[in-house]
This record gives sequence, C-alpha cells and structure tokens, in this order.
Amino acid sequence: MPSIRTKIGPISLENPFMLASGILDENGYTMKRILENGASAVVTKSIGTDERTGYSTPVIVELPYGLINAIGLANPGIDNFGEEIKIALKGNRPVIGSIFGSTPEEFVNLALKMENYGVNAIELNLSCPHVKGFGSEVGSDPDLVEEIIKELKSKINIPVFSKLSPNVTDILSIAKAAERSDALVMINTVRAMSIDIYARKPVLSNKYGGLSGQAIKNIGVRYVYEVKKETGQQIVGVGGIETAEDAVEYIMAGASALQVGTVIHKKGIGVFKELSRELEEFMNHEGYETVSEMTGVALS
Amino acid sequence: MNFSIILSKEVVAKNTVTLKFSFDKRVYAGQFAMVWTPGKGEIPISFSHTGDPKGITIKNYGDMSAPIVALNAGERIFFRGPYGNSFTKPKDGDYLLIGGGSGIASLAPMISKNAHGIISARSMEDLFFLDKFEKSKVIATTDDGSFGIKGNALDALRTLDLEKFQNIYVCGPEKMMKGIYDYIKPKNIAAEFSLERPMKCAIGICDSCSVNGIQICKTGPVFGMDSLRDFTEFGTTRLMLSGKRVNI
Repeated sequence: MPSIRTKIGPISLENPFMLASGILDENGYTMKRILENGASAVVTKSIGTDERTGYSTPVIVELPYGLINAIGLANPGIDNFGEEIKIALKGNRPVIGSIFGSTPEEFVNLALKMENYGVNAIELNLSCPHVKGFGSEVGSDPDLVEEIIKELKSKINIPVFSKLSPNVTDILSIAKAAERSDALVMINTVRAMSIDIYARKPVLSNKYGGLSGQAIKNIGVRYVYEVKKETGQQIVGVGGIETAEDAVEYIMAGASALQVGTVIHKKGIGVFKELSRELEEFMNHEGYETVSEMTGVALS
Repeated sequence: MNFSIILSKEVVAKNTVTLKFSFDKRVYAGQFAMVWTPGKGEIPISFSHTGDPKGITIKNYGDMSAPIVALNAGERIFFRGPYGNSFTKPKDGDYLLIGGGSGIASLAPMISKNAHGIISARSMEDLFFLDKFEKSKVIATTDDGSFGIKGNALDALRTLDLEKFQNIYVCGPEKMMKGIYDYIKPKNIAAEFSLERPMKCAIGICDSCSVNGIQICKTGPVFGMDSLRDFTEFGTTRLMLSGKRVNI
C-alpha cells in the first residue's frame, strides 16, 4: 500500500490534508473534532493582538462554485486564545497558530505567545484581502515581509509558514522575501465582490471579500507551480481543493502538503477521510509509493 | 439571496410583528432564515409560519432587527435559507411546547389541538401567540408578574405532570433551556431543544455558533436530550462574535 504521510518543514503529517485557516477554527472543541475526523493538522483562525468583532453581517456569499467571505479578522485577541489551543491540542495532532499584525514586533509578540500556548508551528497571515492595515497590505511589501520573517526566525523555535496572497502584481518577489520561512502557503482568497441585483447593493457589509473554493483552484495551482519552479521552496497548496484529483494537481505542481476549507461547506468534515482514501487509491492506481515522489513531477 | 414581497404585517406584541410572504420552498418547524436588510445587516430568524404563506415573527431588539420590524406589506424582504434541521413531527397524543422570550415563534408551526404550552416573557406586553392554544392548555409566566405566573418557564413546568406528554419542545434563552434540561433529565422524557448562539455564516463554516465541535446552524439548531448530554458547553460557556469565550 502507498503511504500518504508527508512532511512540511520538520513537521510530520499523517496525510497531506490540513484544515485551512478561517474555517471552523475559532472554538477549540471544533478544531479537536476536526483533528479526530481525519485532518492531519489544523490552522487556527488568524489571531491578532487585540480582540476584534469583525465585520457586521452579511459576511458570506454562497456561489455555485465557491464562497466570498469578509469576516474581517474577527478574533478574541491573543491573550484570550490560550484556552482554545489547549482544547484543540487534545486532538493529538499538530495545531498551527495563524497570526496577523502590522509590524515585526507585533508578529514576534504574537508568535511568542502562540509558542508558549504549545502550537507546533506559526502561519503568518500576510494575505487577508479585506482588512486595512493587515494581511495583504503587509504581505505585498517585500522588505517588510523579509524583516518580519527574519525577526521571527531569530526569536522563536517552532517552524514559520508564510501564507501568501494572490492579490499582488509580483508574487515571486514576495515569495523570495519570505524565503527564510520553513514553507510557503499558497494561496489565500482572491479579492472579489457580489452584488444583489434586486437590492442593488453589494451583499457583504464590507462590500469586498475573498473568493475561495472551486473557482480559484486553477489560480492556486498556477501560483504553486510558478513559485516552486523559481524558488524551490517547500509549499503548502491551498485553494479550491475538493477531490483527490485536485489535491494531486497541487502536489504535482510542487506542493508537499495541502489545506482544505471551503469544501467543508459542501461535504462536511467527513471530507478529510474521503480525500485521504481517494488519494491512496490514486497513488495505488498510478504506482506512487510516497507523496514526495509525486511532488513537483509536473515541473520537469 | 431570495426575496419575496411582504403580503401582510401584524403587530403581535410590543415591538413584535409577524411578516407573511410567499416562498415556494418546503420549510419545516424549527428552521430559520438569514434575513437581510441591504446596507444594514443580516440576522437569523425562525419561521413562525411554515405553510402558505410563510411567515416570521420578530421582535425589535436592536440595530439589526429594527429595519426588519419596520418593513411593511408590499415591500421586499430579502433572505437566504431555509437553514438548519427541524423539530421531530409530534406523534399522536399530547405534547408540550415551551417558548421563552421570542422562542415561541419557532415552535408556533407545531401548535395544534394536542399542543400544550408554556410561554414566558418579561412582561404582559411581551407575550404573544397565547391565543393560538386552547385556553385550558397554555400557561403564561412573566418576570414581573403582570400576567400569569410570576416567574419563569421552569416555575410553570414544575406545576405540570410531565408523564402525559409524548414529547417536549423547548426554545428560548440558553440559561432557561439549561434549567429545563436539568429538570427533565432524570425523568427520562423525550425532549428537543432549539439552541441559539451568535451566528454569522449560517452554513456551518465560520465556527461562531459551534457547541462542542457541532455547528448549531447546520447540524442543529434542534438537538435531543442525548446530544445535549455530550455538550459540555451547553449552558456553561459560549463564544462572543469576536470568538472570546465567556460564561453564560
């Protein structure tokens, strides 16, 4: 039988399918349940220094091919998140703490607290497309990205992953600026909008949001391919993965591990076990023994 | 997003209205819609009428509900849904509906000649739907004693012989429901509770309304005694809109 185990930085994963940040990862009990139902790791909701309520509703638009969301970085603030991590860690698989900030000092402070809570790695949200002063506004400045990661790598002992935005002109310069990260996570949602034509207004209270799901898969695959080819960095592929075929596409483009989120809306959390089973079947059929054997095969 | 034209508006209690509209989809008792006022906000509201026409009954309790309560017949109501599971259809024989605050709205589609009711509210002017029950089968309670029993739903429940009910259906503030759950747990009676938590997406992905890993908006909002037994968060802690955990 093939092995679907994989590794990202120094972290071993039972399978390539982690829970992506922003979906079902605010309450510790939910993260624990998702780990118990087949996810190889969970990435928490992005946590900042201060408590934020986020945007008022509507925060989500359902589309036939994905979702547009503008939650607005709602989070309890780092000092109120320790208990949720503690509960999630009872799932006995890696918990990755996602953080957002606007300066290197803020990122360091957040990462140190996350490390102290016991997370296995940090994921930097350099890419939220809909909150001023954070996310992609930070992540589109290569010098700032480089400085944040340099500071973090000198001050914390756990791996650092950088989640990049597709909403930039030159992703390669950002990927290169983030090269000291243990892995790059690509892609975050694509900036988007939906207008209700009978109400004659944008649906989201924030007007703009981030598109996820099926609609963005091929954008994600292209970014992973391009960045892997140019940088050789370890990559976690994310964006629109719904089936093992989608997963294999990302892996062949260069991803060593994957994250899924929006598909849970369609298939529920049973999707983690389903993806693992289907991936194993594919590898068996195609004669692959390991995930690393498949990683980047489309690049050559 | 759907929209319908409001066919009628009826004031049923202080600051509380029933809006009726046509909607060509099956809706079951216990399900809810996310009702949107363009430019103002979106909130979950239970269907109080599931036949034809459909209806919602809503109290003005703030910025999100005020513009919905202000809608009039002939205007458009925007919503998505129906979402969530539903109450089990009552079997033959008597059953009890317990609604606290606006909770009776989501139980209203199940009112029949076999239905007994406990409706609790702050004050007489906040009570509604008492007249939908047979007079001898409904008890009202008010916090201030202005009508019915002075006290809460649990005080009324204690006066009843529960053995005669096939099922008990409860919807109201979580603290009230926890009190009722604790009271009937040792009695081994079938009961269903409609839970409510801060809700944002209503499609099971944002985690705002989760209880012990289960999303109220999707798997719920209706849960039986067995599910509630596993919910250590039920009646104890919940997350606020920011995700901060607070005691109930």
